[in-house]
Amino acid sequence: MATVARSNSNSFINKNTIILILVIIFAAIFIFPPVWMLNTSLRTTQDLYKYPPTILPGAGALTLDNYVYVLTEMSGFVRYVTNSLVVTISTVLIVLVASAMGGYAFGMRKFPGQNILFMAVVGVLTIPYIMYLIPIFLMEYTMGLRNTWLGLIFPYVALNIPWGLLIMRGAFSTIPTDIRDAAIIDGCNEFQMWWRVLVPINTPALAATTIITFVFAWQEYMFASTLMTKNEWQTLPVGIVWLRDELQTLVMGRIGATIVISILPVLILFFIFRRFFVEGLSEGMLKG
Amino acid sequence: MSDAKQRKRSKRRAARKRAASRFNLFIFLLPTLLFVIIFIAFPVAFSGYLSLTQYNYAKDSAPTFIGLSGYWERIVQDDFFQTALLNQMKFAIPYFLITFLVSLIVAIFINELRRGTQVFQIIFYMPMIIPLSLVGITFAWILAPDVGFVNHVLRSIGLKKLAVNWFGLPSTALYSLVVARSWKMTGFTLIIFLAGLQGISRNLRDAARVDGANFFQEITLVMIPNLKPYMLISGIWILINSIKVYALPAVVTQGGPGQATLTLYLYSWKLAFERLDMGDASQVAYLTAAIILILTWVLNRIFRPEPAQRG
Repeated sequence: MATVARSNSNSFINKNTIILILVIIFAAIFIFPPVWMLNTSLRTTQDLYKYPPTILPGAGALTLDNYVYVLTEMSGFVRYVTNSLVVTISTVLIVLVASAMGGYAFGMRKFPGQNILFMAVVGVLTIPYIMYLIPIFLMEYTMGLRNTWLGLIFPYVALNIPWGLLIMRGAFSTIPTDIRDAAIIDGCNEFQMWWRVLVPINTPALAATTIITFVFAWQEYMFASTLMTKNEWQTLPVGIVWLRDELQTLVMGRIGATIVISILPVLILFFIFRRFFVEGLSEGMLKG
Repeated sequence: MSDAKQRKRSKRRAARKRAASRFNLFIFLLPTLLFVIIFIAFPVAFSGYLSLTQYNYAKDSAPTFIGLSGYWERIVQDDFFQTALLNQMKFAIPYFLITFLVSLIVAIFINELRRGTQVFQIIFYMPMIIPLSLVGITFAWILAPDVGFVNHVLRSIGLKKLAVNWFGLPSTALYSLVVARSWKMTGFTLIIFLAGLQGISRNLRDAARVDGANFFQEITLVMIPNLKPYMLISGIWILINSIKVYALPAVVTQGGPGQATLTLYLYSWKLAFERLDMGDASQVAYLTAAIILILTWVLNRIFRPEPAQRG
């Protein structure tokens, strides 16, 4: 036994060092694009487009001017931030309520056709978005929902409910039915029991649903670019592309600043709630 | 007498309770069903109907029913559709290999690390929270022909010939998109593989090591077989995503140069919102969905999880 352990620890040092180095190489490649954008956003325009180009900012070329310009002079950008925040937060709230309700119904109640209905709703996850895009565009045209916040919130909610439902059903189905019965004996009706007893138990699953939905709505491009045809209604992922196309040349410093600003809040949330993010994704994928 | 009355009353109470319970169930399901029916089920059915029609949004006042002949036209006569299909295959193969292998290898490595796993996980998951359209702008900037970082490095190490216009040449544009998208999506399958690796018991690996297995054999004989269900999930995920390619070509190349980066999604979008042919666009959308479903089914057959082995 002792010899086995020793021979292992010997080869372990070598193996682990090699693995660490390889992981560091991979990580360096992965972290490079956002780091490069950050580098770009902190440089003056002349410095970025000079020839021959340099990797690091030249002397005196390190500046926050791009950020100041983007936040004070570009009213369009502030509007995109507002649109993104309103659409994303509303979508998250509606998805949370809907999937916590549906998750309870599918996870704790029994009713005929339950499994088929659940499979049908979750099966939505495999349907390509392009299939809804054209009819939703036509529907929103007749309903007057294009170029409104609701015009994005409604489809986003519908696309995220299956995810939320998958996660929330998993969470609800692990709750022992004793808890439900005890609450009902204590005189709660079903909704009070759901809201006061069951929903608080499922905070981790709710956090996972929040993060998945938030990340989706913050990033979505296809629906946003198709349904929001007017610039003032566009969200960040669409608006920044529009800025790039509109301003055309020599603007990468400013575009870089808009990209960094739009990624940073999500990045911070992601650092704080990383555990829920990972748990939510793996639970949702592996439990069903 | 009073006994029968009581029984009757309790029966009625039970019935009322059941009705109330059924009503509650309906309320709990209502939001989910409402959204899924109005914004998913109805649109899917509607675009199914549209795919059987000829409907130009600018010229026609209403769709004209033409049956399946639109599908026939797409598959047999539409050169753009065939190009998009071919591009999709050229895209899918390297995309699948890169995403699958990189996430598998990185997962196996990270799982071996004693310290620092958190930091590396954050780095590899980070692309998942960056919007694809902004990933597109970022990669277009890094791979820019004159001032881009990659070409600058290539020129300064004497590989001037390799410093091409990555997104501007028909031969490299599609593969540049592959790299950008793989970068973005690797984190997700990494999570799945790490979850799988953490589920493999230490004892199993120790036993293999006592039997004289080296690290490579541990990977091929212990880890890979135990990861099969996780490989299935990742595989399906990657394949589905190899077809859902819209934002990147829309932002970076608009399908060009020529039709070199025209994907099925982008083609359907262009038919619908540039040519305004909603019928043709719906046919492409339905054919794309069919391909995705077939791939899912095939992959399900190949990697059938073996629950007996999972212990």
